Amino acid sequence: MKKTLLFFLILNLYSQDIVSRNRRCFLCHGKEDYKIIEDGKEKSLYVSPGEYYQSVHKDFLCTACHYDVTTIPHLRKPKKIHCLQCHYAGNVVGAPVKEMPEKYKESIHGRAKEKGKEAPDCIDCHTTHYVRNPSDSLSTINKRNVPKTCGKCHSLVKEEYFKGVHGKALLKKIYETAVCNDCHKEHDIFPPEDPRSTLNPKNVVATCEKCHSDITIMKKYGVPIKQVEAFKESFHGIALEYGIVKSANCVSCHGSHEILPSKDPNSPIHPKNLANTCGKCHPRASENVAKGKYHVIPYEKEAGVVYYVYNFFKWFTFLVIFGLIVHIILDLTGRGLRKFKK
Amino acid sequence: MKEEEKIYEEIINEIEKEGFKIKEELKEKIKREVKEKIKKELEEEIKKIKKKEEKEEEYFIRFSLNVRMQHFILALGCILLIITGLPIKFHESFWAEIYFKITGGIQVSRFLHRIGATLLVIVAMWHTIYLFTKEGRREFKELLPTKKDFLDFFQNIKYFLKLTDERPKFGRYSYIEKFDYWAVYWGMVIMIGSGTLMWFHNFFLGIIPKFIIDIAREAHSDEALLATLAIIIWHWYNAHFNPEVFPFNPTIFTGKISKERMMKEHPLEYEKIMKEKNKE
Repeated sequence: MKKTLLFFLILNLYSQDIVSRNRRCFLCHGKEDYKIIEDGKEKSLYVSPGEYYQSVHKDFLCTACHYDVTTIPHLRKPKKIHCLQCHYAGNVVGAPVKEMPEKYKESIHGRAKEKGKEAPDCIDCHTTHYVRNPSDSLSTINKRNVPKTCGKCHSLVKEEYFKGVHGKALLKKIYETAVCNDCHKEHDIFPPEDPRSTLNPKNVVATCEKCHSDITIMKKYGVPIKQVEAFKESFHGIALEYGIVKSANCVSCHGSHEILPSKDPNSPIHPKNLANTCGKCHPRASENVAKGKYHVIPYEKEAGVVYYVYNFFKWFTFLVIFGLIVHIILDLTGRGLRKFKK
Repeated sequence: MKEEEKIYEEIINEIEKEGFKIKEELKEKIKREVKEKIKKELEEEIKKIKKKEEKEEEYFIRFSLNVRMQHFILALGCILLIITGLPIKFHESFWAEIYFKITGGIQVSRFLHRIGATLLVIVAMWHTIYLFTKEGRREFKELLPTKKDFLDFFQNIKYFLKLTDERPKFGRYSYIEKFDYWAVYWGMVIMIGSGTLMWFHNFFLGIIPKFIIDIAREAHSDEALLATLAIIIWHWYNAHFNPEVFPFNPTIFTGKISKERMMKEHPLEYEKIMKEKNKE
């Protein structure tokens, strides 16, 4: 009891110590209008102490990262620092390291950055001073905020996204919906041509399947469950499985960011638009392509006429083969009987 | 014998004309040798003629070259189609994965499948034309199901069960062979029909509703399995594993059937042929 009390006391003292020591920094940087002029542009140097003390780094001194600031006020501009100075494998500070920084380097953003192009680095998504745990609803990388975070740069996609079913669901606070990183991933984003990409034609089905084969989620919102299974049985699915990359995958017909239900007249899978959608690959497709069901599973009644064809052949095959086998067995037993009696 | 004597006398005369004198001993020797040689030649000739007669008596020609060629191409097409088609139907199985790995993906398979399909279409057209020839018409008539086939069927079952010792007497085609013929007929119509729809789906998508192509795909896939099972279970039994013909019945390739098998398997046809022969 005494020991734990002591522990908390020390912890309390220590954290008070951090706040009081950081207070010296916030004397200037805590003022909202604290800015300098750099390269002819105004640059805010404000860091909100309130938000900082709610971030995951709240127990750190400002100077823990800005290590070259030894006297306060500092006279020189501190060096540019990077998250990787702590978040690397084998660090002694105890900064959590997953494979993310390594993955980021390989990703489309990391590569662009390496080439000197304008591309997001850690802080562009995670923020600089206010990094929160992703489970925190105010975190920039919490599910509800991801589209906003990515949309800072990908603004057109963000607009499309919020027009589609997934975006609309997010606005309705349905957090099982897909946001950017559910399909694109976060640190290891690759262009679709890359076989490692979740959106490479060979991987699209598996990406959509993560949620669309999940019975509990789909049932909850009345989304059909067997579409993925049916697709895999279709010729498009089989062709994709065994090397015809140009075969249609989910995205080819449903679109990607702005996915709309088939009832919506703007949807590419609205019966009126099907001829156009199929026509992307099948040049002679006419309104005939809308006459019939999609994602057909032959052994389910919803398949309509195909279900009856399937059943006819099932019983027909069974009866014929059964009859033939009986005939063979009778023939052989007859021969056996005659041989035996002789 | 007189001719022989003439021959060797001529030989001797010719030699003597040139001024040689031949001893009596040598003359005798020449006589003997010529006799023996001619005897041998004659014997061999007689043997050959006898053999030919034997063969003609022991074998009957069951299938014409035309029919044999049709069967050969059909078999070739079917084997190719089954090998390249089943992995698509059972695409989730481990052997389909192995198959596609070995052959280099579904594109190769599709191409080979279409070669098989072409062979099948060729046979279908060939057979249709054949049915209008004299021989074809005759064969087709023999293949039409009759009341006797049903009676034969029940008689055969009775025979199997030892309820009777009398085997049904088959004509040129037994009910089993007729079943095989009509099964292929049905299969060809389904497979070529649905296959054509899928092969030229880009063309047909503009003409027919999508659900017809869905039906075609389901029927193609299901009938393929039925046909494969029928070949493996039924056709292999009749042509290979049946104790009567094990390990292989060559009649469809050679066209020949032995008199013994003819009398046993097609007694009515045998009787008919013999009657016609005797009339002649």
